[in-house]
Amino acid sequence: MSTFSFTLNGEQIGPLELDSDTAMIEVLHEYLNMTGTKFGCGIGVCRACTVIVDNDDGTSEVMRSCINNVGAFNGKKVRTVEGHATTKASGEVQLSPVQQAYIEGYAFQCGWCTSGMVNAATVLIEQLRREPIKKNQIESRIEEALEHHICRCTGYKKYYESLKKLIEETEELWT
Amino acid sequence: MKKFLSNHPLLMVVALLVSPQLWANDDAVKRGEYIAKLGDCSACHTAPEGQAYAGGLKFATPFGELYSTNITSHKDKGIGDYSLQDFKDALREGKGKHGRLYPAMPFTSYALVSDQDISDLYAYFMQVPAADVDNKDNDLNFPANFRFGLIFWSWLNHDPQPFKPIANKPEAYNRGAYIVNGLGHCGECHTTRTKTFGIDKDRIFMGQVIDGKYAPNITATELNRQGWTYRSLNDLFREGYSSKGTTFGGMFTLISHSMQHLTESDMKAVASYLLDQAELDVDAKTPQAKVSIDETSPGYELYEAHCAGCHGGQGQGVPNVAPAMVGNATLDQNHPFNTVAVLLKGIEPQRYSYVRAFGEMPGYETRLTDAQLLTLVNFLRESFTEQSEPVTQQQLDDIRDQIPDNAAH
Repeated sequence: MSTFSFTLNGEQIGPLELDSDTAMIEVLHEYLNMTGTKFGCGIGVCRACTVIVDNDDGTSEVMRSCINNVGAFNGKKVRTVEGHATTKASGEVQLSPVQQAYIEGYAFQCGWCTSGMVNAATVLIEQLRREPIKKNQIESRIEEALEHHICRCTGYKKYYESLKKLIEETEELWT
Repeated sequence: MKKFLSNHPLLMVVALLVSPQLWANDDAVKRGEYIAKLGDCSACHTAPEGQAYAGGLKFATPFGELYSTNITSHKDKGIGDYSLQDFKDALREGKGKHGRLYPAMPFTSYALVSDQDISDLYAYFMQVPAADVDNKDNDLNFPANFRFGLIFWSWLNHDPQPFKPIANKPEAYNRGAYIVNGLGHCGECHTTRTKTFGIDKDRIFMGQVIDGKYAPNITATELNRQGWTYRSLNDLFREGYSSKGTTFGGMFTLISHSMQHLTESDMKAVASYLLDQAELDVDAKTPQAKVSIDETSPGYELYEAHCAGCHGGQGQGVPNVAPAMVGNATLDQNHPFNTVAVLLKGIEPQRYSYVRAFGEMPGYETRLTDAQLLTLVNFLRESFTEQSEPVTQQQLDDIRDQIPDNAAH
């Protein structure tokens, strides 16, 4: 057993006493009751379990929570799909732009891959916000960000088109 | 004519019966097809998505960019107008009809190929469908852009001698030596180059860095030290995966194009030569590998966090997920190049066969600090190999400098 701490969607977690061979997704599901992140293949291929890690330099990156054990997230700032939407004072839930774009584009069906697709797209948007790209690079950057994510309902086209529309409509992301 | 015969089956039977030359040529073509696989001709002479043997694959060399050529039976753009003697001159001496060949074509190894095999290979290529594909112009720097200088290169580095069997070794061993040194041209990657870019004959098979990876030491001494057996070599060459680990990079494609097609007797011959076993022990079991894990070490903490999810808490590996660290030959190489390179850049997903595939290994270049990378590399070597020399920051820097930024293995 070892002790682990991290922040999850801005909230301090831990110190938790856990076996150090515990996969991060198991920590999310079984210890923190955060089940939005889905367990797919379990071998780092399908990317359903992708979460976001925020680095101290202001950059963010995706990490797979099934093949990385909790120690890989120790001391890190972690975001999961539950952390994107905000709740207004009125109680109304405000989805993130990526979530809204996917809903408007009917991007997902069963939803198993959605947590990973949302996180990968969110990291891409954040990258583009820091370093805008040329408009003609939008398609290749989306392909790069989403190409490894497996959707068993084969919603690839709608994910792709929804994200492309969002980026094209957000002018500060490209020049 | 063929169409006419194929529409008249009885005539075709008669034609074949009265024409033993057709039979003989068919056999030569079949043998030639196998020899082309042993020589892995398609790896260089077929571009991604391109027609087979139509060339166009780019090689980034220290002297500029070089493109492989069209070796289909096209009369103008391929080698369809080559006589058997022209073909021999190209294969053994690096003399093409258009001028000297650059030594990216391994004629220094193919010089060992027998007359019979060259003749069969010729029969095969003369019937490879003609590809109407122009050869691309090379983009080489001075003086490499003058083929004339290759005469001097050959004078320094090429001594075409036929294969000489080793007198006191059995036929199978010598067959293995012929394949490995000749058609297989293994030495082209696994041997250090001299200052004039020839194969260093004093360091045959002792390994070298090529294309951002280390083509490891495959001398019999080293393979036996690492505990390779016929079975593990056979597994590696058939599927790219064995109890000693996996292949990646150029060796992975080599296996799919070439080595997996070895006949059983040739596979045994190759193993006999590589392991220097005159009488090959086909039942030898892989020796027990070292496992000495200090679970209280900082290295184990990193291993558990980043590696154990796929490679197992005790380095035992997970079938169809990730290979074992225990007994892993890549870890156990004297040179830490590949261990470091793989940790930095990861490995692409690889499908070895219909029932054997591994997912991608992530690269840790941005996730771990140099101090963490060194702690992890040295933990892996201490825990699973006999390599006692710790990897240093200087080595890490040197290895990083030799890996292209966009490399994935």
